[in-house]
Amino acid sequence: MELFLYTALFSPLVGSLFAALFGASPKTKIAGIIPSALLGLSFISSSILLVSILSGNGAVHVEMMTWMSAGNLYIPFGFVVDQVSVTMMMVVTLVSTVVHVYAIGYMDHDKGFNRFFSYLSAFVFSMMILVMSDNFAGLFIGWEGVGLCSWLLIGFWYHKESATWAANEAFIMNRIADLGMLIGIFLVYWNTGTLQYEQAFAAMPSLENDVLTWMGVFLFIGAMGKSAQFPLHTWLADAMEGPTPVSALIHAATMVTAGVYLVVRAHPLYHLIPNIGIFIASLGAFVALFAASMALVNRDMKRVIAYSTLSQLGYMFVAAGLGAYWVALFHLMAHAFFKALLFLGAGNVMHAMHDELDPFKMGGLNKAMKGTFIMMTIASVALAGIYPLAGFFSKDLILEVAFVENHYIIYTVLLFTAGLTAFYSFRLVALIFHGEERYKLFGIHPHEAYKFMLIAMSPLLFLAVIAGSFKMTYFEMVTQVLPASEYHVHSSLTFWIMTIGTQLFVAAAILFAYKKYTRRDIKVPDGTSKMENSFAYKLLINQYYIPFAYQEYVVKPYREVSSLFWTHVDQKIVDATVDGIAHTFYKIGEETRDMQSGNLSIMLKWMVAGTVALLSLAVVFGLSVKYATEIKLFLSGLGV
Amino acid sequence: MMQIGLNHYLVLSTILFSIGLIGVMRRKNLLMLFFATEILLNSVNISFAAISHYYGDLTGQMFAFFVIAIAASEVAVGLGLLIVWHKKHNNIDLDFMSTMRG
Amino acid sequence: MVEHILSILIFFPALAAVLGFVVHKDSVRSYGVAVATIEFMLSMWLWLVFDPTLSGMQFVEQIALVPTFGINYIVGVDGISLFIVILAAFFTMLGIASLGETKNIKNMIITLLFLQMTMVGVFLALDAIVFYVFWELSLVPMLYLIGAWGGPLRIYASVKFFLYTFTGSLVMLVGMLFMAYLYHRTTGNWSFSILEWYRLQLPFEYQIWLFLAFFVGFAIKVPMFPFHTWLPYAHGQAPTIGSVILAAILLKMGTYAFIRFSLPLFPDASVYFMYPIAVLAIIMIIYTAMVAYAQKDIKQVVAYSSVSHMGVIVLGTFALNVEGITGSIFLMIAHGVVSGALFLLVGVIYDRRHTKLMSEFGGLASVMPRYATIFGIMMMASVGLPLTINFVGEFMSLLGFYKQSHILTLLAGVAIIVGAIYMLTAYKKMFFGVVTKDENRNLPDVNKTELLALIPLAIVTVWLGVYPKVLLEPISTSVKPLVEFMHEKAITAEAKARISTMAVKVDNTKIPTGEAH
Repeated sequence: MELFLYTALFSPLVGSLFAALFGASPKTKIAGIIPSALLGLSFISSSILLVSILSGNGAVHVEMMTWMSAGNLYIPFGFVVDQVSVTMMMVVTLVSTVVHVYAIGYMDHDKGFNRFFSYLSAFVFSMMILVMSDNFAGLFIGWEGVGLCSWLLIGFWYHKESATWAANEAFIMNRIADLGMLIGIFLVYWNTGTLQYEQAFAAMPSLENDVLTWMGVFLFIGAMGKSAQFPLHTWLADAMEGPTPVSALIHAATMVTAGVYLVVRAHPLYHLIPNIGIFIASLGAFVALFAASMALVNRDMKRVIAYSTLSQLGYMFVAAGLGAYWVALFHLMAHAFFKALLFLGAGNVMHAMHDELDPFKMGGLNKAMKGTFIMMTIASVALAGIYPLAGFFSKDLILEVAFVENHYIIYTVLLFTAGLTAFYSFRLVALIFHGEERYKLFGIHPHEAYKFMLIAMSPLLFLAVIAGSFKMTYFEMVTQVLPASEYHVHSSLTFWIMTIGTQLFVAAAILFAYKKYTRRDIKVPDGTSKMENSFAYKLLINQYYIPFAYQEYVVKPYREVSSLFWTHVDQKIVDATVDGIAHTFYKIGEETRDMQSGNLSIMLKWMVAGTVALLSLAVVFGLSVKYATEIKLFLSGLGV
Repeated sequence: MMQIGLNHYLVLSTILFSIGLIGVMRRKNLLMLFFATEILLNSVNISFAAISHYYGDLTGQMFAFFVIAIAASEVAVGLGLLIVWHKKHNNIDLDFMSTMRG
Repeated sequence: MVEHILSILIFFPALAAVLGFVVHKDSVRSYGVAVATIEFMLSMWLWLVFDPTLSGMQFVEQIALVPTFGINYIVGVDGISLFIVILAAFFTMLGIASLGETKNIKNMIITLLFLQMTMVGVFLALDAIVFYVFWELSLVPMLYLIGAWGGPLRIYASVKFFLYTFTGSLVMLVGMLFMAYLYHRTTGNWSFSILEWYRLQLPFEYQIWLFLAFFVGFAIKVPMFPFHTWLPYAHGQAPTIGSVILAAILLKMGTYAFIRFSLPLFPDASVYFMYPIAVLAIIMIIYTAMVAYAQKDIKQVVAYSSVSHMGVIVLGTFALNVEGITGSIFLMIAHGVVSGALFLLVGVIYDRRHTKLMSEFGGLASVMPRYATIFGIMMMASVGLPLTINFVGEFMSLLGFYKQSHILTLLAGVAIIVGAIYMLTAYKKMFFGVVTKDENRNLPDVNKTELLALIPLAIVTVWLGVYPKVLLEPISTSVKPLVEFMHEKAITAEAKARISTMAVKVDNTKIPTGEAH
């Protein structure tokens, strides 16, 4: 099994290096095909590992070599394939294989084609390290590695100012969270003496609650950055500047779910601190609603999907926070499939529309792009959580968890958000594929994507439809390591009312969206309509003015304080003091050079003066030593 | 009759030293400066000899001879330089010798 | 020969430098490269014959110089100094090999070889006077490098560099003399041998004063805030090779001296001053990172980033445990490699455009893709990305200090954020966007000579990031007894508690969790 483990882990790296060889040369198809094939290999290896684990073999645990060791610190490159990590491996390798193949078509005309595959495969490698590592330090390698690749890929079109800005924003925001993560790792090390998951978690129950709480808090701060939870969420929407396959792979299916994975992985810790769990769940519910509200009005197709991702991550955190780790992981998996599908579909639309992102400028594309239309619709249905697609099983489960655990506020928020989700998803579908063919005004002739791209997407489509049916198999597998709590609403009547009610609510939201946005009189908004001038709209379209606030109250002051430090503190205080001291000496020299008049007579006078001064000093000291006791007496008499 | 003791010699030496010191400070003529220096040195010689006699130790008197010898050589060299300077510049006023001005 | 390898390492470059005067001007470059390569090979040979399982000094040589005052020529190497010596040889070799068109190249190569002698000498010396001599001698070639090949403000910069560091060293010299006096008073013998000084148990008050005297000398060299202002000038004016050696090796003298002198000689004072120094280090980290962000000149960005990283090194040193000190020594190597490489990279663009202002560039990624890639790798290393060399050092330094103070480590950890901010911004300004200036449109990419220096550095950066064990093992072998020794020697109870090599006890539920609450 070790062979498969290493194959799964390292073939993306090989692919990345292979593509990097062609980094400087003009586009070569092979630089895309080989990494994709290697990813396929990685996927097959992961599948073999999955089968092995499903058939009851234990986790595969290997230690490749030592990384750091000094004193009591010992960190190896160790990898573990257990029920949790194999799930993640499957998701990562499957989605990334699909995205790679898709990208061969999508990036066809880009001159950075080779470079793109190098970065993308490097990302997969980092992600594999992240999920397979058997210790916190290895997790951190992957954690930063995906951050790096995300930076490279968001800023892939580096000539665009907005892209590079977004890349830097993403990296720096993640760094802020990474500091929290690092502190969390330090806490783990100094309190348990190791960074290996197994030993560290085993030691945790005997620790004080305070320590555990801080551990949980700091690790979760790390998770908040990667998973773009409030208030570190702004980078995710801006990250949509990257090529669409990147958005599908990194900013929807895999990297952003790393935070959820961390919480699930650290479940023995979070299990001990339920208060933090409640906090995580509340924050998750808040983010779910918060992000969904921003998706309602946005006029950038990719940003809408990004907010929807954010919202779904909120759902996952609710499940993880409430202790339903397997549910969180299950939703993570299902979400990866339909969200990647949605993004890739959006990529097709973008291609067809010459990189136009405003759905108001599209409309009626279902004729020109039948395949994409079907796929995106099904993905949206899955996202909305309509029976029997994947979203129904995973998302409704989270609602049930909240209900069963008696967190009715969270339940209500999530239920309401489910409606919003359905609404904005179908707002998008309706605007893009139905109604008037508004794109004609802009002289665009849309065309369907390459056939192989659609075929590449089909596994995702398939899984988005049927992923729900794996629920019980999955439950049995993953609960061998995660707490096996099943969530059943106590009375079957309540259960049916809830389920059917939710379905009806969601369906109503879908219908409302269709009705509203398939109308013939939809126009490209020009900022004059009444709705666009309403306060709520302005608040939402400006993302609650949070990016503005960050820019105004964080970025600008930082820049100003920096230049203040440089020009005033560093140059005018610190350096001026040093120069001032040197200047004093120069000045003294300058002033006293007149003594060296060269006139022997004057020099002799100075000499005599010096002799007299030294002699009198000697006399004074001699006397003061001689009469030391008397002087002391005198001084004490004066009360000194 | 007052006995002439060590103190008297030392007072004499001090007076001579002061005269020499004032001469060193006030005189502008190089030749006079040499005279003043000689007075300084000889004031020291007096105290050497006196103290040497007082302690019955000949070292001090020996040292006085050294001083005399060195003073003589110093004056010889100094006077030589002085004559050269006088030939070149036709005066020996100290205020004109300021080539070492800093 | 092997028993004299250290003396050979020290004096071979000096001898070669003297002989260099008779070498013809046209062949002096290859002569320099040859000498530096032999020196590097010798240092690699030292690594080969070095026994990593021993913790003490190896290859010790002792020759009496002034027996009356116990001044001896003593040299020796342990895990702490070994890799810095190799680094010095490595960088001198790369530096000479990658020299571009330079006027008076003969003088420059002779100066560099002489500088190499002083650098190697500082790290190998085990006698305070010999150490001091090499320490001060190293100023001379650097003064000459900046003063003769520097930019427009070179005289000001070089004089400032010289006088500032020299003043600090004088205070240190006074400390050394007093230390020797104390040794004489206690034992009746004169000795300047550092190893013999180690055994001297000093009263707390003396430790405080001596620590401060040494601190002034070391802190200016590091340079610690607020003594850092000579560095931006020196870097700003120095030629590329001068900056590279200054950043890669010379600054390490200060932090190395902290570990060689301050910690084992004054363990109680080290604990006493731990918090003030940590606060200074944190100011260094955050403040200079912000100043770096405000710079317009790419070389100044790298210069200030150097100061910022040195802060982490100082912090790791004063963690006073094996993890922290090992990490800080590793970070010295790492920072040497990375900042040296960054200065070389700045030199590459300066040679082409004769400007270092970032506003003059933009969009270079499309003009010079290889340059952008190598710069990117080095930038990421500087930012401290895992699997690059810097991360290992930073991680262990911060991890070590976390044991001493939680809240200060949290503040120091801001380094990873502010570091990313100034580096990414600088990178974006230089490489991203569209090419706006016509002069930049046809810039040639890095050439073979430059690659010769940059590729090995990139390889080292990744290799030691993935497999730091080769260095960490010998380093920690030497650091462990040092920490144990400090623990034994400490007289105050607080110092005994702070300096401990105890493993973390998992079952101990009463571990203080400190300020983080």
